[in-house]
Amino acid sequence: MPGAAERGSELSEQIEAFVARLRGGGERPRSEDTARQTLSLLRKIVAHGRWSRAGELMDLIRREGQRMTAAQPSETTVGNMVRRVLKIIREEYGRLHGRSEESDQQESLHKLLTSGGLREDFSTPYPPLRANVIEAINELLIELEGTTDNIAMQALEHIHSNEVIMTIGYSRTVEAFLKEAARKRKFQVIVAECAPFCQGHEMAVRLSKENIETTVMSDAAIFAVMSRVNKVIIGTKTILANGALIAVSGTHTLALAAKHHSTPLIVCAPMFKLSPQFPNEEDSFHKFVSPQEVLPFTEGEILAKINVHCPVFDYVPPELITLFISNIGGNAPSYIYRLMSELYHPDDYEL
Amino acid sequence: RDNTTFRAQLRDDPDVASAVAAIRALLGFLKQDRGETIQGLRSSLLAAIDTLSRVDSSVAVSSGGELFLRFISLTSLEYSDYSKCKEIMIERGEIFLRKVSLSRNKIAKLCHPFIRDGARILTHAYSRVVLRVLEAAVEAKKRFSVYVTESQPDQAGQKMAKALRKLNIPVTVILDAAVGYIMEKVDLVLVGAEGVVESGGIINKIGTNQIAVCAKAQNKPFYVVAESFKFVRLFPLNQQDVPDKFKYKADTLKTNQNLTEEHPWIDYTSPSLITLLFTDLGVLTPSAVSDELIKLYL
Repeated sequence: MPGAAERGSELSEQIEAFVARLRGGGERPRSEDTARQTLSLLRKIVAHGRWSRAGELMDLIRREGQRMTAAQPSETTVGNMVRRVLKIIREEYGRLHGRSEESDQQESLHKLLTSGGLREDFSTPYPPLRANVIEAINELLIELEGTTDNIAMQALEHIHSNEVIMTIGYSRTVEAFLKEAARKRKFQVIVAECAPFCQGHEMAVRLSKENIETTVMSDAAIFAVMSRVNKVIIGTKTILANGALIAVSGTHTLALAAKHHSTPLIVCAPMFKLSPQFPNEEDSFHKFVSPQEVLPFTEGEILAKINVHCPVFDYVPPELITLFISNIGGNAPSYIYRLMSELYHPDDYEL
Repeated sequence: RDNTTFRAQLRDDPDVASAVAAIRALLGFLKQDRGETIQGLRSSLLAAIDTLSRVDSSVAVSSGGELFLRFISLTSLEYSDYSKCKEIMIERGEIFLRKVSLSRNKIAKLCHPFIRDGARILTHAYSRVVLRVLEAAVEAKKRFSVYVTESQPDQAGQKMAKALRKLNIPVTVILDAAVGYIMEKVDLVLVGAEGVVESGGIINKIGTNQIAVCAKAQNKPFYVVAESFKFVRLFPLNQQDVPDKFKYKADTLKTNQNLTEEHPWIDYTSPSLITLLFTDLGVLTPSAVSDELIKLYL
């Protein structure tokens, strides 16, 4: 059928374009946009892809997911969305297959003792599966739209009048959070500029437009000023399975200074940033960009004698974090494992 | 009769965990039982577990026994007809034993990515699960070296070192007292566990607590590898809370009245000192352990 073949090639073109955009880097993409684009692409694969059984669909999604994550491993939202879709497929299949909704899909001691046999093999074809999965993905997209607002709504509970808040770099989630609180409360913000890209400057400009008293300072002064700060509120790129963060370079320093002064460290991050990976040998989170910002090429002779690195991300261990504020409420880092089990299926942790 | 089966199993297959051997013995007992009621079965099983713990009073046998009892209760709730129930129990028991025999491989697969190339690992006494993990790391072509504590009073560390040398892993045996000295050279600590308690802490060979405290002081990750059938429903708050029957060997308990003269064989490590637990249910943080136990026992 020419229609299907056309759609098929258009689909693979779109996937190629997406993968190329991910690999290209260029300007820093917003995590929410990446998540939304990934979901739209996955929805197209479900709608137009060639599959008849749930098992085939899952393999198809997994294959495309592996390609997309391989293009840019530091963009963990892509992998997270793929895993969410896989969980949706499992749930919809389970519902159609007649399994009760309460039945836990996780491995547990209980299951080890009571299960009678082999695992699901997802091979029974169900015609309504396609429509159900697409509907569930649409619900997920709607949920995605509202995450920043949900987080900002909780601002008034955490920020009080006359407080000094510290943040680092530019996080759109934290910006929305602080703006929402500024509507009813008066407080000050100190922004660490976050060299070498100095995104903190942009954050400060945006906050001051809302009449929030903002101060910008260099990263070296973080420890010096920390004694005056009441709370530290930061965003992050990824939340790992043990409750740790992969955040912009400089965050670990901030977290250590906060711990030393017993200042609470609050992380504002939506749930789609939660990734089931643990920090381990692969270290695929480490991303280095051109050290042009650190030591420009015009410095000439000295460049031959030294190594210059410019890492983009930092690892922050879970002991330094006080609270995670996400679209589903506030949680302690030790509770992350529970949130993960609700979002993803253990078989999908390794794509 | 169960004693002899149990002892025979432990002797024939030194690689099997004592909890698994206990469960196998109990399953054999179940097959031969001539009772007609669940209550009768339960009481005879309790007697059997008691007999087994008189042979080997370790935590593992206790957790295996409790798990088996729980397994019986869960199955009996589903089927009211006793003979059908018994058939299902035997069938599920076999499936369970098959699954747990694969658990060590699952754990090894989860754990070996955490061992970086060139890592220096510290381990304690002799643990078959740790051995399997290190074997998997060698198969993944990683180069690393291991320090093993001698682990008095039975010198279990020497046994571990011998097994590691067979795998061509460079290994150094150190004194138990040298842990504080060696900790700065080490990249990570990897130990097994005889039991995992509800709080997420572990019960393991004496000396583990010391190693955990040193590791915490020097900011080294402390990883525990344990199969899920080792989860026990204990919640010790300190060393005293661990029952005496686990601390001392069965023979000592029988012969000696004054236990203050005896040296305990195990100690309790609190969850705040543990970084991650690798089990066949996945990689867990200590806070996730109690969740798993609740799911089973409630």
